[in-house]
Amino acid sequence: MFRFPSDEWIKAMMQDLNQSQSYKEAAKNWEGDFYFIIEPGGMLTETVTLYMDLWHGECRNAFKVEKLDGLKPAFQLKGPVSVWKKVMTKQLDPMQAMMTGQLKLTGNMAMVMKNVRAAKELVESCTRIPTEFPL
Amino acid sequence: MYGKMVKINLSNGQIRREQIPPEWIEGFIGASGLAARLLWDRLDVNRSPLDPGSPLLFATGPLTGTAGPTTGRFTICGRSPQTGWWGESNIGGFVGPELRFAGIDFLWIEGVSDRPVYLWIYNDQIEIRSAEHLWGKADTYQTQEIIRREVGIPQVKVACIGLAGENLVPFAGILSDHGRLAARTGMGALMGSKKLKAVAVRGTQRLVMERDEEYRKLRVASNKRLLEQNMTAVLRSTGTSGGAEYLQYLGDMPQKYWTAARFEGADKISGATMAETILRGTTACQGCVISCGREVEIEQGSFPTNGVVKGPEYETICSFGSQLMVDDLAAITALGDLCDRLGMDTITAGNVIALAYLLYGQGKLTTKDSGGLVLRWGDPEPCFSLLRQMATKEGLGNLLAQGSKALATAYGDEDLAVQVNGLDVAMHDPRAFSGQALAYVTSPRGACHNQSDYFNVGLGGTVDEIGIGFTDRFSPVGKGEQVARHQHWRTVCNSLTTCYFAVVSPGEILELLNAAMGWDWDMTTMLKAGERAWNMKRLYNLKLGWKPENERLPRLLLQPLLDGGQEGNIPDLSTMLEEYYRYSGWDRMSGYPFLWKLEELGLKDLVEQKYGDAVL
Repeated sequence: MFRFPSDEWIKAMMQDLNQSQSYKEAAKNWEGDFYFIIEPGGMLTETVTLYMDLWHGECRNAFKVEKLDGLKPAFQLKGPVSVWKKVMTKQLDPMQAMMTGQLKLTGNMAMVMKNVRAAKELVESCTRIPTEFPL
Repeated sequence: MYGKMVKINLSNGQIRREQIPPEWIEGFIGASGLAARLLWDRLDVNRSPLDPGSPLLFATGPLTGTAGPTTGRFTICGRSPQTGWWGESNIGGFVGPELRFAGIDFLWIEGVSDRPVYLWIYNDQIEIRSAEHLWGKADTYQTQEIIRREVGIPQVKVACIGLAGENLVPFAGILSDHGRLAARTGMGALMGSKKLKAVAVRGTQRLVMERDEEYRKLRVASNKRLLEQNMTAVLRSTGTSGGAEYLQYLGDMPQKYWTAARFEGADKISGATMAETILRGTTACQGCVISCGREVEIEQGSFPTNGVVKGPEYETICSFGSQLMVDDLAAITALGDLCDRLGMDTITAGNVIALAYLLYGQGKLTTKDSGGLVLRWGDPEPCFSLLRQMATKEGLGNLLAQGSKALATAYGDEDLAVQVNGLDVAMHDPRAFSGQALAYVTSPRGACHNQSDYFNVGLGGTVDEIGIGFTDRFSPVGKGEQVARHQHWRTVCNSLTTCYFAVVSPGEILELLNAAMGWDWDMTTMLKAGERAWNMKRLYNLKLGWKPENERLPRLLLQPLLDGGQEGNIPDLSTMLEEYYRYSGWDRMSGYPFLWKLEELGLKDLVEQKYGDAVL
């Protein structure tokens, strides 16, 4: 079981993505690294930022960010841990979460809108990771 | 004070000014809601929509032109030449605000001129000018430019018709600015029947709200919040067609005239691809912070644009793209531009042409019928000829110009036409979102997504504040009540007039409306006004002979598509309609609102006064 959000959890997801043929296919045109910013809720008392470098169907790097300076990722997706949990457990569609502003996205919208299937595959990957939520 | 109306009779040149009674404004808010009340008094079932006595109404809302969130819009209303039912068509750009700056909230046009004319409105001066030099000669963009030069004021805004409107094509629209079109229900044909080529307007008055400073603060805050929405960022970056890949994934984007589940070319024609390739800039309606309009340029290939032209919107990339299996964004851009210049609704035009392609594929329509044109899926070339023929009613275009129902009927299969109550279905497949099927069949203007875009709720655009929550997109359970509530809410938006693309909460709208009008309404009162206006449009259609039997889907939309995002879903319309009628307080047999509902809405006397008890 991996605790969310943690360095171990994001590394487990990196491993899962790189083993997923369906993600590789769906995200073959994706270019851009991410900050996933998880805001407090439940037992999570402070904001946690996870980093993922996603490039043409591959995850090149992933870790929990300890200091926010230095990296300038192309995308940021930010929201409360309760919303993240809904998305990661498929109670909320990731595109719906994004379009309705429950998760706040910054970055190249054209790139995001062209890669709906990649977003779905990211969620599929999350569901495969045994996860303990702080809620 | 909101409610200033100018009435112009083009038969005798008479111009009158009236003030709409305040109780009507409090009852129906404005724009199309109030227009329904105004046009009800003039409704004569024996009069054709194109009769000189049939009025054409340019209707602004109390927020039009106020720089509130997406309030640059207004509505054009009348009886639809396309459907024969209630007609209204919402349009952005700058003409609505300019009318209000000239001191006109409603422009009522009736009669017919003995020669082509245009109206020139400059504050309180109104002039009827000859348009003989424009009629049959100038397209919609040329018309705007020529009139701008003639009046000598660069800031003048012009709403005009093209060849399609002049030739009374039933789905002709009215265009203003750069590709802003009041497209649906054929208001352009109604305008053409009056020999009215254009309305040009310039106003310089400042709009003063009843609680002006409060309104200013509210609109600034509301626009700021709107600007921060993800949806705004998507629309700003990729336009209305930015969601094409997503909608295709969900099975919402129609393909091959509603008969295919997948179209591999969707990503080649989407707003995202447009943004990465041919986009040169964006445009916005008056005061709008979203800026969803596209400006594109194509320098090479088969369809160069020769400069910057309007980029196609979502409905147009479906009409001339996925529906014809065309994956050439340049061709779609050129066809959309041609439609705008001719002044024609791209949804209906694209649907009719796609039906012709389907009939051709079935071997029913042949090159003998088409004058040699080969209508092969994926080939956009014949569309250019067909669009011109439709606007001039020549060749096969003469039949196509009568609409999809007429075309299907001509080939012995009326129900093959994907239309509801005479209006071709908008580019959101109701098999992807069952609630949209209910919204289509109960819409007073036919299969339209601008009386309720309920599919958006299924995409996550819930309005939880007024009890419109997220439900399973395929299930009929709860949809009757949800869709009715959504229609009442959207009727409020259409009465204001605000844009559906704006993520602005009902609470914000209520505050803005109260400050603008000096009211102290609560949410219930505002939504009740929406319901009242919705019922007013219903009564208008019932008087014209609307029956519950009209509320059905065409055959093709009742056939499942198994291998796409619709997952084989067929909307369970009868379950949804039962609940819908119950919630609405309407009689399932006659289709009329029950007496108690009419009393609740304050419409009983109105109906009795005109028609007596018989209709109830």
